[in-house]
Amino acid sequence: MMTKLKKIYNDYIKFPKYVLLHPFDGFEEFKRYKKGKLSVAVVFIVLFAFFRIFQFQYEGFIINENNPLMLNSLQEIFSVLLLIVLFTVGNWSVTTLMEGKGTYKEILMVTGYALFPIVIIGFPSVILSNLLTLEEIAFYELLMALAFVSTGWMLFMGILNIHAYGLAKTLLAFIATVISMLVMMFLGLLFFDLIQQFISFVVAIYEEISLR
Amino acid sequence: MIKIFTLLSLMVMMPMQLTSTNYNYSYYGESVHSAPGMTFAAYLDAQSLGVSLSSPEDLVVYEDQIYVVDSTTNALIIIDEEFSLVGEYLTFELSDEYEDYLTSEGSTDFSDITIDSPYGIDVKETGIYICDTGNFRVVKLNHDLEVLGVYGDMDDKTFDEIEFEPKKITVDSSERMYVVAKNVYEGIMEINYDGEFNRFTGVNPILLTPFEIFSRSLMTEAQLAQLQLFLPTEYTNVAIDEKSFIYATSKTSENNTDNPIQLINPKGVDVIKRNGYFPPKGDIHFVLGSNNYVIDGPSELIDISSTHNGIYTVLDQKRSRLFTYDREGNLLYINGDEGSQSDKFSEGVAIDYFGDDLLILDRGTKTIVIYQLTEFGAYVNQAIAYHDEGEFEKAAEIWEEVVKINSNYEIAFNGIGKLLLRQEKYEEAMEYFKLGHDTYYYSKAFKGYRNEILERNFGLILGSIVFITCGVIGLKIYSTYKKGGSILYDD
Repeated sequence: MMTKLKKIYNDYIKFPKYVLLHPFDGFEEFKRYKKGKLSVAVVFIVLFAFFRIFQFQYEGFIINENNPLMLNSLQEIFSVLLLIVLFTVGNWSVTTLMEGKGTYKEILMVTGYALFPIVIIGFPSVILSNLLTLEEIAFYELLMALAFVSTGWMLFMGILNIHAYGLAKTLLAFIATVISMLVMMFLGLLFFDLIQQFISFVVAIYEEISLR
Repeated sequence: MIKIFTLLSLMVMMPMQLTSTNYNYSYYGESVHSAPGMTFAAYLDAQSLGVSLSSPEDLVVYEDQIYVVDSTTNALIIIDEEFSLVGEYLTFELSDEYEDYLTSEGSTDFSDITIDSPYGIDVKETGIYICDTGNFRVVKLNHDLEVLGVYGDMDDKTFDEIEFEPKKITVDSSERMYVVAKNVYEGIMEINYDGEFNRFTGVNPILLTPFEIFSRSLMTEAQLAQLQLFLPTEYTNVAIDEKSFIYATSKTSENNTDNPIQLINPKGVDVIKRNGYFPPKGDIHFVLGSNNYVIDGPSELIDISSTHNGIYTVLDQKRSRLFTYDREGNLLYINGDEGSQSDKFSEGVAIDYFGDDLLILDRGTKTIVIYQLTEFGAYVNQAIAYHDEGEFEKAAEIWEEVVKINSNYEIAFNGIGKLLLRQEKYEEAMEYFKLGHDTYYYSKAFKGYRNEILERNFGLILGSIVFITCGVIGLKIYSTYKKGGSILYDD
């Protein structure tokens, strides 16, 4: 029991913290010694989706401008899922062309691990935001900003390390990733639109014939 | 018998009530049902007055008398408090003072003055001021309707190219005239008591987006000249309050629909409070773009009138609606119905408060519609008045009545909450501020509540902190000993 708890602590807190604070050594171990685990990454992604719902509903009244009736858990989950899938696929397709050393699994794992700060700072901060007055709410905003900045940092360093890129090339890869994400979204919309048109065309023909 | 009578009358009344739905905007911007704040009381038209109205343009109330100008019959019409006609005046004699003045200027023409298509009027203790738009001048009369002055020459380079066409006017306590003129985009014209142009006040700023600023910086002079002119929006009306602050309405510009209502202080700065759920601008939701089936675009505010305690009402000509706000910018109630029936108006041009009643001048049906406060509206106004005087208990009592009539009314919950906060009932106050979505006061109540809890459990909290620290240190010492180390020496 104790060893199991210790293992969970190591996997979910200690190692991600080590990676956050020592990005080069951490991602070295992450990639070369296979210390990163897909299950951990998936858990972080799930927790992130849950965090978005949690924040929508339980953020302190002073800062929460969301209409509680507008909460749509499925929408939150799918938007996180869509973002992750778009980013990983986009990054993978770009970095394969740019001689990146990382595999798709590694990109997915880095993305998941990068959500560690948001998950670990975010949940307590949201609870804290219920205990703050209007003047003190800046602390909450600071914490959330810290969480998002360190997530960005971790994602950046992760992509840099697993692909064995330099600084400039990583930046380039990120820009290219964003573009490829946009292209994918465009293609997706185009595809759905065409399918819709096609279906309505078929339905129209069917109606014409059946009414004749 | 009474039951049957009630039922029958309900059968008639219900559909009438349901055809016009009164609404207000909730914190989340949904339009929710609301009790009506004002309702139709009476109307005046040309027939009941015994005059010919063909295109009434402006209306103003001064000391129980109603002054109306008509731009087609070129008449000034005065109505008394019983809503009967005092007179219809087309020509105005010159006063002795003005004759003396003209003589000193070397003029010998002392003929009576007529007005041509007047569009605006204001009446103050110092006289009656009429925007004589067709003659490009402002005419000032005394209360015996004799001419005191005629002001037409405006000494400003704006009027080198265009004529001075005053549309609306208001006058402050030191007889300075504030005029909204046609095709003048610089702001509201401030004219001294002697007719000398002073300055433009309350300039409507235009906001450029960063992209526009960037693209304009790249253009050549010739290209800039070809661009459509970015004109600041035109003011549509002005009204002055007792502190010489000018309430002004303007058309909305394309990129800024948030400040059609302004309160301009004597320095020329807009100081209106926008602390409500939404900035005061009439309807919050509207259809954008051209549409043949519904009226689109933001509200077109055409007149503004203030009553006691900083409550003011604006008239939306486009949808024939009246929006009443309080000093803080909270939307109190929305009224008015478009239509050609006697209790509705179709082309409102002017409003003014007549005591607590509101007069609406309708150019379309050529009537003056009188709206009076309903029970709900009177309660709201009374509560705000009490709140202004600092009588929070009385205010809260009335807010409770308001909530009974209209439980969708979120502002009322804040009013009750403020009393509870003063009574240091923090937990209840928090509940009410939550209902009213007032984060500022919620935060205050919460602070009190938190302090209360901390004080009550001070011993417990301090004790647990001491206990936990001691425990941790103790455990550390214990484990160090157990491993055979020493706490005294670092090894």
